[in-house]
Amino acid sequence: MEFDLKTIEALAPDQASLSAASKLTKRSNWPRLEKNEQQALIWGECQGSGSNPYRVVVDTGDHGYKCTCPSRKFPCKHTLALMWIAATAPASLAAAESSPEWVNDWLGRRRKTTPPAAQPIAGAAAKSIDEAARTDESAAVEDVAAVERREAAQRKRAEDTRQAVSAALDELDQWIADQLRLGLSGFVDGSSDRCRRIAARLVDMKATALAGRIDEIPSRLMALRGEEKPDAAIRELGKLVLLAKAWRAAPDDPELKRLVSTSETREQVLANPDAKQVESFWEVLGEKIESRRDGLVSHSTWLLDLKSATPQFAVLLDYFPASAGRRSNAFAPGDRFDARLVFYPSRKPLRALVAERMGEVMSGAWPDFSLSATKDPLATHASYQDAAPWITDCPLLLPPGAILVDDRGTGWWQGADDPQGIALPIAGAVNQTLLGVDLAATAALWDGARLDLLAAQSGFGRLDLS
Amino acid sequence: MNESEQTGLATMRDCWITGGATFDLAPTAWKTIAGGTSPDEQERRLLAIAAQALDVALRPAAPKTLKRRPPLPRLALPMLPERLRPLLRVALKHADARRKTRVVTLVASRGFVLHPMDWMPSDQNSPDVYAPWIDWQASLDGERHAPQEKLTAENWDEFYPAARRIVLANMRRTEPALARMLIEAKASGEPAEVRLALIELMRFGLSAEDAPFFKSLSADRSGNVRELAGRLLARLGEHGRSNDGGPDDPAAELAAFISEGKSGFIRRRTTYTPAKLKSPAQEKRRAELFETCNLVDLAARFGITEPEFIGSWQFGADNNADILIARMVAASGSDAAVTHMADALVADGGKPALVVLHLTPRLDSRRKRALVRLILKQTNYLNAINLAEGIDAGWLEWDDLSNGSALAALCSAVAGNDDAMRRGADDILEMIGFLATATTAAKLIDKVVAAGMPPAAPSLSVLRLNAALAEHQSRTDT
Repeated sequence: MEFDLKTIEALAPDQASLSAASKLTKRSNWPRLEKNEQQALIWGECQGSGSNPYRVVVDTGDHGYKCTCPSRKFPCKHTLALMWIAATAPASLAAAESSPEWVNDWLGRRRKTTPPAAQPIAGAAAKSIDEAARTDESAAVEDVAAVERREAAQRKRAEDTRQAVSAALDELDQWIADQLRLGLSGFVDGSSDRCRRIAARLVDMKATALAGRIDEIPSRLMALRGEEKPDAAIRELGKLVLLAKAWRAAPDDPELKRLVSTSETREQVLANPDAKQVESFWEVLGEKIESRRDGLVSHSTWLLDLKSATPQFAVLLDYFPASAGRRSNAFAPGDRFDARLVFYPSRKPLRALVAERMGEVMSGAWPDFSLSATKDPLATHASYQDAAPWITDCPLLLPPGAILVDDRGTGWWQGADDPQGIALPIAGAVNQTLLGVDLAATAALWDGARLDLLAAQSGFGRLDLS
Repeated sequence: MNESEQTGLATMRDCWITGGATFDLAPTAWKTIAGGTSPDEQERRLLAIAAQALDVALRPAAPKTLKRRPPLPRLALPMLPERLRPLLRVALKHADARRKTRVVTLVASRGFVLHPMDWMPSDQNSPDVYAPWIDWQASLDGERHAPQEKLTAENWDEFYPAARRIVLANMRRTEPALARMLIEAKASGEPAEVRLALIELMRFGLSAEDAPFFKSLSADRSGNVRELAGRLLARLGEHGRSNDGGPDDPAAELAAFISEGKSGFIRRRTTYTPAKLKSPAQEKRRAELFETCNLVDLAARFGITEPEFIGSWQFGADNNADILIARMVAASGSDAAVTHMADALVADGGKPALVVLHLTPRLDSRRKRALVRLILKQTNYLNAINLAEGIDAGWLEWDDLSNGSALAALCSAVAGNDDAMRRGADDILEMIGFLATATTAAKLIDKVVAAGMPPAAPSLSVLRLNAALAEHQSRTDT
């Protein structure tokens, strides 16, 4: 490996990046660290602030690199940390015979342009790796009075936020009553402007998460047929009423706080002793990447617990600015891994973080969950709604069935033998090949109006549908 | 949700759509929950109940118009093992339809078919094993099923088009007269496009016995069918049209673009050279004439046979004219003319041999391979290998590559800094990935990686798939 600290120092865009990288050189931050000397490559997965680990690869020959993090600094702290580990603790990198697909993908893409070897950034001098490595000893020990002052300020801020959010919900209540009085027909037509206005007010009043949700209502309505929109509007607004009432009843409830104002940090979730933890084998069912009106891109990775007796799901959810461009995916659909997940506390825990990854797992069929075609396919959805009626997307594992088409070309999932005359309309266009395949089990998200397919098991093996 | 609640919900919904208070319309049980507060709060509570009722208590009803497609048929070959699918997807990722067909052909040659979600055949160029999927895609009613019995005029309509095409092609090879009689009996009832495809199958097992049928097609209502029948007739050495030699005779007009001369001091022999053209208009007209005339008619204009004409043509004098005559030979030349031209040009080598690429649809496997070996030997025209069509997959040995200087040229292109050369090498590597045996593919990967190509370069994807297919076979064999 051809790294020395001088090179890293020269490549770093600024001193702050070096300091941040220094903190990431701990082995515990890297569930995976590998190298291939023949290809002159090192790569790893760094657990950053997102729920998905960032994937970093560095070409030690020409110092080319790629990281999946959204940082606008090049190289980012993860890349610098990986180089740093290679320079100072090369034994931490396990020798790998072949490079993973995501590394190959990157290599394949950079073949065409063949950029010159990465050069130190001009004018980015005055950086010192020694300074970055030095432990922060300058932090003075706070006296008791200062701690009290700080905590009092925190309490005050929390109280102010609570009052602001309470006022925001009063305003939201009034807005909902106005929509009902003026008619949902007008609301559906003008939802874009109306939702934008109330969302902006809610942001001002610190109900940020709720504002983001309301901002997405127009696009969810747009995806439906005209005759379905009033029902969808009733569902959306009704859920907001329920959420507001629930928050008023328990403003400190972490789930409700997360949905109305702000979410806990990753560290707070990991440190929470009450947070549900599940160590199991997980399969990546699929990913959903959506651009939101607030300028963020939400990236959700849905997982299926392969050891559970009944279908259990988890979602790794990350947000990053749309301006950061397209991000490489951390996991590919169908990937399987052994990991300990920590769930964000909630009535029906779904959102999770990967706390520890133990390794990859062989692929295969899904466990036999004894799914019955005679049962209500939306029973899981109903139980989620009973516990947490504000949930919009509910993961389902549907029993044996098939995809059919109606006279308008819309795809519908229907259970084998269809005992109850139920069919679930599918979001978006359906791959025509699917129409001829019997599905033994289908993983999908149900939002009350449309089924968003993730993956399925069939006579043709696993089908990636996301 | 009971019936009165359902009725109440429907009325409330109608009221909310237009706007207004719904409390009086709500079911009694809902009123009890929502009542006792301000009118706005009552409406919000009712809205929350309605939302929950819509989400939990109602189920989407299946429309009566729902249609189920027949099950996707299983193919005769096993599906590509799961382990190899990522490699396949990389090989298909940026490939155009022609390259995709090559990859699919390579996989089929190793005894596998693709997963239907990775690729579905979209045209008739796919390997025959995919015919059931082509028919599945084409079937709208789902009523017909590919029957197992022999194709006859009676069960003609029970066969899907792609399955029928394959059966007829096989029948032309084994029982050509029977196949001709079937086509003769049924083609006239088919639309022009299908008729053309059926008559195109007559090229298999073509014989003089087919001539009367082709002659009868001279009155067909489709121009394309008439033209194809004329060409097939020409392949049998029969003149498709009357050669009156008048100003309207295209063969005579084309002959005027060709200069007859003599060469050799002792044994004087006749030569045919393309005449020098004076304008682009002339060039255009000459191209049109080469396309419409048949070789047999042109040779007759000079009073010689087809092989004699080909033997006397001065290849290398005008590259465009060489290409045009090669296309003419491929379209209407007799089998003797085709093989004579291919053998002579491949034996001579050099640039003129490249025009044999236009004859590949008519060449047997041995001659196609000889052409590929020649191209690999003549490193100057290595890129021409990408034009080769209809060649078998998986036969090119390491010696075929290493005996000439093709390998050295490839490695030097890979190692060099010339982007155009490297792009050219990428295309050649992809083509060799299709042609090579698994051992050759594995060796070539090592060689070009050692020369400086990144191990995961996309241009190695077909080679990698090729090598991995053999690895899989040997694993399952042991």
